[in-house]
Amino acid sequence: CCSGSHLLVLIERSLPSLLGAEEVRLSNQTIWSLTVCNLPSQANHTEHHEGRHYSIPLEEVKAVFPHGLPYRFQQQVKTFNEACLMVRKPALELFTYLKNSNFAHPAVRYVIYGERGTGKTMTLCHVVHYCARQGWLVLHIPDAHLWVKNCKELMQSSYKKERLDQPLQASSWLKNFKTSNEHFLKEIKTQQKYVWGKRESTEQGRPLGEVVEQGLARVRSASDAVGVVLKEIKQQCHLGSFRVLVAVDGVNALWGRTTLKKEDKSPVSPEELTLVYNLRKMMMNNWNGGAIVTTLSQTGSLFKPSSAYLPHELLGKEGFDALDPFVPVLVPNYSQREFESCYHYYLHRKWLQHEQARTEAGKEELRFLSGSNPQQLERLAGPL
Amino acid sequence: MRPPSACSARGCAHQRPSAAPLTPPRPSRSALAQRRAAPSLPALIATHRAGAAPALPANRGRRAFLGPCGAEPGAAVMAAAMRRLLRAGGRRGAALVVAAGGARSQTLRLIYTTTAAWKKNVAASGPEKYTEAFIKKQIEEFNLGKRHLANMMGEDPETFTQEDIDRAIAYLFPSGLFDKRARPMMKHPTEIFPEQRKIQWGEDGRPFHFLFYTGKQSYYSLMHDTYEKLLNVQKHQDQMAAQDLPPQKEKKNLVGSRWLTKTELEEMLLEKLSDDDYSRFIQLLQKLVTSPCGNIEENYIKKFSREISAQLQKVVIEPLKHDDRGVAFSTGEGERKTSRATVIVYDNGTGKITVNGIDVLHYFPVLQDREQLLFPFQFLDRVGKHDMVCTVSGGGRSSQAGAIRLASAKALRSFVTEKEVEFMRQAGLLTVDPRVKERKKPGQEGARRKFTWKKR
Repeated sequence: CCSGSHLLVLIERSLPSLLGAEEVRLSNQTIWSLTVCNLPSQANHTEHHEGRHYSIPLEEVKAVFPHGLPYRFQQQVKTFNEACLMVRKPALELFTYLKNSNFAHPAVRYVIYGERGTGKTMTLCHVVHYCARQGWLVLHIPDAHLWVKNCKELMQSSYKKERLDQPLQASSWLKNFKTSNEHFLKEIKTQQKYVWGKRESTEQGRPLGEVVEQGLARVRSASDAVGVVLKEIKQQCHLGSFRVLVAVDGVNALWGRTTLKKEDKSPVSPEELTLVYNLRKMMMNNWNGGAIVTTLSQTGSLFKPSSAYLPHELLGKEGFDALDPFVPVLVPNYSQREFESCYHYYLHRKWLQHEQARTEAGKEELRFLSGSNPQQLERLAGPL
Repeated sequence: MRPPSACSARGCAHQRPSAAPLTPPRPSRSALAQRRAAPSLPALIATHRAGAAPALPANRGRRAFLGPCGAEPGAAVMAAAMRRLLRAGGRRGAALVVAAGGARSQTLRLIYTTTAAWKKNVAASGPEKYTEAFIKKQIEEFNLGKRHLANMMGEDPETFTQEDIDRAIAYLFPSGLFDKRARPMMKHPTEIFPEQRKIQWGEDGRPFHFLFYTGKQSYYSLMHDTYEKLLNVQKHQDQMAAQDLPPQKEKKNLVGSRWLTKTELEEMLLEKLSDDDYSRFIQLLQKLVTSPCGNIEENYIKKFSREISAQLQKVVIEPLKHDDRGVAFSTGEGERKTSRATVIVYDNGTGKITVNGIDVLHYFPVLQDREQLLFPFQFLDRVGKHDMVCTVSGGGRSSQAGAIRLASAKALRSFVTEKEVEFMRQAGLLTVDPRVKERKKPGQEGARRKFTWKKR
């Protein structure tokens, strides 16, 4: 429907003037079609589509996001029976960067930062989905903070004496990695022999899937399996047969402090964890053929004040130096247009049941009380 | 040693001199204490209630031994014997020995009474009566003290007014008591000691006023006078009617005045009235005023009416100011509990609010506080139209939110019509919340909470 889309584009161009005039009462249906409607999840979301939602089919959601979507969003997906993401400016910015990046150069690091609840994780998920659609290999670590706190089992690593293993976290991550990147696991071959224990080993040239199976089967060596996976991918991606996207949420966990303690009650620093150590190696820009997109997060962070959101505050000196040449991407609160779009989405989905919520005054009230913050708006709209 | 008069039981017109008992009274502990505590300063500075006349030391358990008046020598021996008997006897039943019979044979008769009979009944004697001499003395002392005080303060004694006295006393005797009437004060004795009626009858016992025997002489004389005025007015009216002149139409405006209240009337007449009496008097006054030629007696009526001062002070709403960019703004101040807030509300805004330099979402993470801030704007339907810059200090999060709410409502008055200001006032947006933390009382754990009750 070419002409249809042209018409839509024309109407959209005149939309700002329409939205500005208060007397014009657009019916909900028109508003829906103009501002909010579900775009097909094509690869080419441009500025014209800013503020609009696009939906991801549920099977894709299960495939691409076995882990990684925020919990509340998962609940919303279950309630509405569809997954709708809003197209916002930071994501579009990242798409342009990714499109125009030269993969012969070392991997560029992008750090998405912003205040609490503005949509950093959702932006990251949008980028992940975009890259997955384009056929990239996605290494998605949903929340690096989970690796540095609340670990029930800490084992001494068999590979290196001073490091500590986290079998549970590693095995869960391997499981999700397997679901998301099935076909890559068959393609990539190991370039070296890995010995897991007295009787287990993986020969050279075996598909990576076997390493993953090994990690899942023998949980003791899961962390080492993760390390092997990361190393192989790093070594092979410069060949150019596939692109790698390393998507880490809460990257400030890798350089902060942990709340874990060794058996002699001395604190554990992040380098001593195998998973963190290997991931840090991944974050360095000494490889090419992909991109690193990370998010800072204060919510799960340890020992950081709640008002901190800037990179140098959350990363600390060590992290900042490690990530140093990076592209910061700020995610702000909703703009006028985005707010209207979100509001109409909720209205369309019949999520706002209160009569007053459907009026103009109600919309203004919601705008005031949420401060145009996406998380606050979502929490406010819940009971209504 | 003079025996006390035997006729204390019957009422006497003359004042009893302070009775000196036969035996020198052993001063009881309370008497000693009172003597010690007796103020060395002149009794100028007094609290309201006391209005103290110099206190008499009260002797407890005074045994009154009454001997016969003008006892003959023979009877004196008997009296001495009786005294011994009585001293040996208990405290309770003090026996009175009264002389009965004529001058020749003095037979001593025993009359048994209890302490209740010869003890002074404080309650029945009514309010304290001050003699004229006493009041005069107080006035002299007051004037003297006034001059001393003026000298102390370094002011001119001649031009030392009552306000100066109040200020000086507040300076010399600072008090933290909440009730103003409990604080030290120095006022003219006529203000402190209530007016009392002089004795209404002369030396021969004949009353001065012709209505004395009605019991309420001032009230009935007042009614009599007022009725006389009414008759005057009616006579005047008849004369005017006879001369065919139209009645005067100048009516005194009754709106800004009120009649005396019952208490005020009682103070004026110096005697108690009943509600019925009072209402009858007011009805008579009304009749006088409403009759056509009532203006003749205006002077008389003025004595019984008071002005009601206009209490409504119109609150001035400040006009809008404009800042450098040409944007209209207005300021407001508000308070709640211990928080104080100042707010500047700008026009042509987007609903952005900054508190102490911090965005409102960060300063008030709780929804309830933001709802409080929303209330004035939502009430006036101006939710996204104003920007606000606030400074707030003191109190907790909820009281700071309340203070900002009040301040913003006050600031919004300048942007809005008078009718809407009235609506805001009725909605309670412009009223200062008077609730503050209640004081903890001794004997309780908190303001209201009592200590745990244990049965034993």
